[in-house]
Amino acid sequence: MQAKANALRQGFIRCHDCGYLVKTVDQPSTCPRCDSHLHARHPHSLQRTTAFLFSSFLLYIPANVFPIMTVNQFGAGDAHTIAGGIVELIDSGMIPIGMLVLVASILVPSSKLIGIGLLLLCAHFRWQINARRWTVMYRIIAFVGRWSMLDIFMISILVDLVDFGGIQIIAGPAATAFAAVVILTMFAAENFDPRLLWDNQKNL
Amino acid sequence: MNSTNYDACPECDLLLKPAQPKLGEKVHCPRCGLLLSRPRKQSIERTFALSIAGFILFFPANLLPMVGLTVLGNANTGILISGVIALYNDGMEAVAIVVFLASILFPLVHLCLSLLISGHLYFNCPNRYLVAWMRWMHHLDEWVMLEVYMLGIIVACVKLMAIAPLKLGWGLYAFIALIIITTMLTSSLDNRLFWLRIEQLGKESKNAS
Repeated sequence: MQAKANALRQGFIRCHDCGYLVKTVDQPSTCPRCDSHLHARHPHSLQRTTAFLFSSFLLYIPANVFPIMTVNQFGAGDAHTIAGGIVELIDSGMIPIGMLVLVASILVPSSKLIGIGLLLLCAHFRWQINARRWTVMYRIIAFVGRWSMLDIFMISILVDLVDFGGIQIIAGPAATAFAAVVILTMFAAENFDPRLLWDNQKNL
Repeated sequence: MNSTNYDACPECDLLLKPAQPKLGEKVHCPRCGLLLSRPRKQSIERTFALSIAGFILFFPANLLPMVGLTVLGNANTGILISGVIALYNDGMEAVAIVVFLASILFPLVHLCLSLLISGHLYFNCPNRYLVAWMRWMHHLDEWVMLEVYMLGIIVACVKLMAIAPLKLGWGLYAFIALIIITTMLTSSLDNRLFWLRIEQLGKESKNAS
């Protein structure tokens, strides 16, 4: 009985941009209200998400291995990785801020990679799951993604301010890789269509 | 069955009869729990006012010094764009562009779009670009990262305090005000109402001509 509740099975497509409901019998290709292209589900959702996820996974390695910034003090360079910066913050007693950076630049990106991976597997293999719980997980992943940019913004401020004759902070190669990871995982989350989780549930 | 009589949840595709929530009420999708609509008081007026305020604040927030650092008598002050330039000069062009987009260009474009849209709706003036502006604004939403930048400033300040005394400038206060304004702006903007009004305006102008 409830299977009929699905808008697509009832013959409706919802416009991604403005939320207008369009009847599929008319076979429209663009939304009558906002003129954007209509798709029942995000086009090639799983393929695109997989591609973005895979590339961000590869970039995640250099992002954590290479130094994200180097502190030059009178000629002596001191390179910091992402994890090194957090250890230093905690060592110098700034535990809350250290925790904040730990969450934003290590826990969030890694759990995002795993989370999107699980969502992809679930949608691909049509796992019978509690779709509501998984949708909430998707929502959290999509929401927290942008907060990982924190590290990148912090580096831009440090690089700008700490530039005196003897003391200097220079951004390292991991910064580029890390920014790419954050952006690619945001694209991955944007391209994933949570409605696919619901489409696969047999008992609905 | 007229399509406008129904509504679908964007995240689980449940077909719904649109509820008519009163002010202060929230409508959640019964199946997946997504917040579907939440009508705001005077949405158009408030969005218009807040967009003007945000647009004005954008300039001091970008042009006045935010944080100053003094080491051995040398003073350095930073603004939003100087961080981008410093990264660019260090050879991190890609990161510099990302920071520029997320902290300067996208917030500015987003403010301009919401100013244009709410202004047109406020004065009931139809414009054939309203639909396109609304769509661009919808796509930009996620890439406006002012509040993330603010956290970046806080962490950077904590790290710098260990090195040398910091001086907070007017630019930072303007930036904080800008973040408060943009947050209020996003919460006062009722997407559903805006789309309905745009549709109405479009129909009215078609009938008039």
